[in-house]
Amino acid sequence: MAKEKGQTKLNFLKGIANENPLFVSILGTCPALATTKSVEAAIGMGLLFTIVLVCSNILVSLLRKLIPEEIRTPAYIVIIATFVTIVKMFTNAFLPELYSTLGVFISLIVVNCIVLGRAEAYASKNKVFDSFIDALGMGVGYTLALILMAFFRELLGTGAFSFGKIFTFIPYFKLQIIPVGYEISLFQNPAGAFIVFALILAVIQFIKNRKAELKAYNERQEKIRKAQEAKLAAQNKEGGN
Amino acid sequence: MNTFIAFLLAIISSMLIDNVVLSRFYGICPFLGVSKKVNSSLGMGVAVVFVIILATVICWPLYNYVLVPAGIAFMDTVAYILVIASLVQLVGLFIKKYSPSLYKTLGIYLPLITTNCAVLGVAQSNTDQGLNFVESLANGIGTSVGFLLIIVVFSCIRVRLESANTPKAFKGLPIALITAAIMAIAFMGLQGLFSGLN
Amino acid sequence: MSKTGYLILAISILVALVIIFIVSFVLYRRTPVPKGCEDIKMNDEKCSSCGHSECSFYKGSSEEK
Repeated sequence: MAKEKGQTKLNFLKGIANENPLFVSILGTCPALATTKSVEAAIGMGLLFTIVLVCSNILVSLLRKLIPEEIRTPAYIVIIATFVTIVKMFTNAFLPELYSTLGVFISLIVVNCIVLGRAEAYASKNKVFDSFIDALGMGVGYTLALILMAFFRELLGTGAFSFGKIFTFIPYFKLQIIPVGYEISLFQNPAGAFIVFALILAVIQFIKNRKAELKAYNERQEKIRKAQEAKLAAQNKEGGN
Repeated sequence: MNTFIAFLLAIISSMLIDNVVLSRFYGICPFLGVSKKVNSSLGMGVAVVFVIILATVICWPLYNYVLVPAGIAFMDTVAYILVIASLVQLVGLFIKKYSPSLYKTLGIYLPLITTNCAVLGVAQSNTDQGLNFVESLANGIGTSVGFLLIIVVFSCIRVRLESANTPKAFKGLPIALITAAIMAIAFMGLQGLFSGLN
Repeated sequence: MSKTGYLILAISILVALVIIFIVSFVLYRRTPVPKGCEDIKMNDEKCSSCGHSECSFYKGSSEEK
């Protein structure tokens, strides 16, 4: 039982770190660049995305024995599009500011490679609960990635964090961090989105390279040590004789 | 004559000023994934142009003459994705059956077009903004040709990047994204292109 | 035409779209790959020694220097 619990945790965490859909698999880049002007919009996008991903993964997993192998992809596309429509209508009704901020990108969740990819790669082969955890992990991982990008873009681009504009049920407040007049508005522009994304990927690649180098170095050291030990042993043997 | 000029201006503006990849962020995945070789990005771009124009021509009447009168305008996303996906499959089927040479160049990219944000994005934004048919067509043509232009230009740059001596951490995608950022800045310069006309 | 008529028309078009999609999808998968395109995959033996940088399987200098 304990082992199974550990498995579930791993299954959840892999979407956040090792298999992060945005930063490791480089999927779903369009909304990541377009909806990260402010942290609030990023949270909203991530939330809607996670809801669609979780719902479609659960339904796909439930129907995995009913859908014939050959028409899998069409069936999944219809399922995902239906959930996106439902989410879109709810957003329009209850969070109209979020709806108008994200605009077309709510509909574009349909063609987000992550949703279809998860349905085909995971939910079509696994049990409902596992698929649910997998989708939740991926959704949270994607949301965190969006928030990270929006954090830098909003901080550098406007010099402040403002909340309450999109989620109108919380009171509006603004947290000025960089003095007015010193912000770099380029980061609010499309170009800034590309730069932030590039720098984050570069940092990740740097860390990966470091790890690989360290591993190679350790292996080399280990080899040398073993060779020396073997030499020493041989010498001792000779001495003994 | 005036409408024709307006049509051309609309095409150019959605192609250059509001470029699909660099300012509207549709179709980043193929932009980054396919564009390593000039030939393959040209093939992908042409296929996207074809599908986007066809999808625009089908989706606009479908929305305005069928979904709206029936009172189920909220089903637009489902209808569009069905139109696009069947279009891609039909075109693929046709090519596979009758033109092996075309299949050789485009075959691997066709399934990717269904999940290209640009196609659904154009169809959706056309009706969300309430454009009329001619404007939608101009938007479709402009967007798709803009995509073709940018993906080919970008692949030409990336061929050079491959042999450039970039820092190790920036090899591959990061430097490509930095290049895209510089291109986006360059395209920002086109924003005032039509301001004198109005 | 009445609203109900439009509704029936719209729903039948949507259903027709789903059917077209599924039929074309299945047909696409069942159509044999044309001659000469059977293996559009990388051939390690042939590709490693080829320096044609326009080929879509050319690895170039990005792999290893």
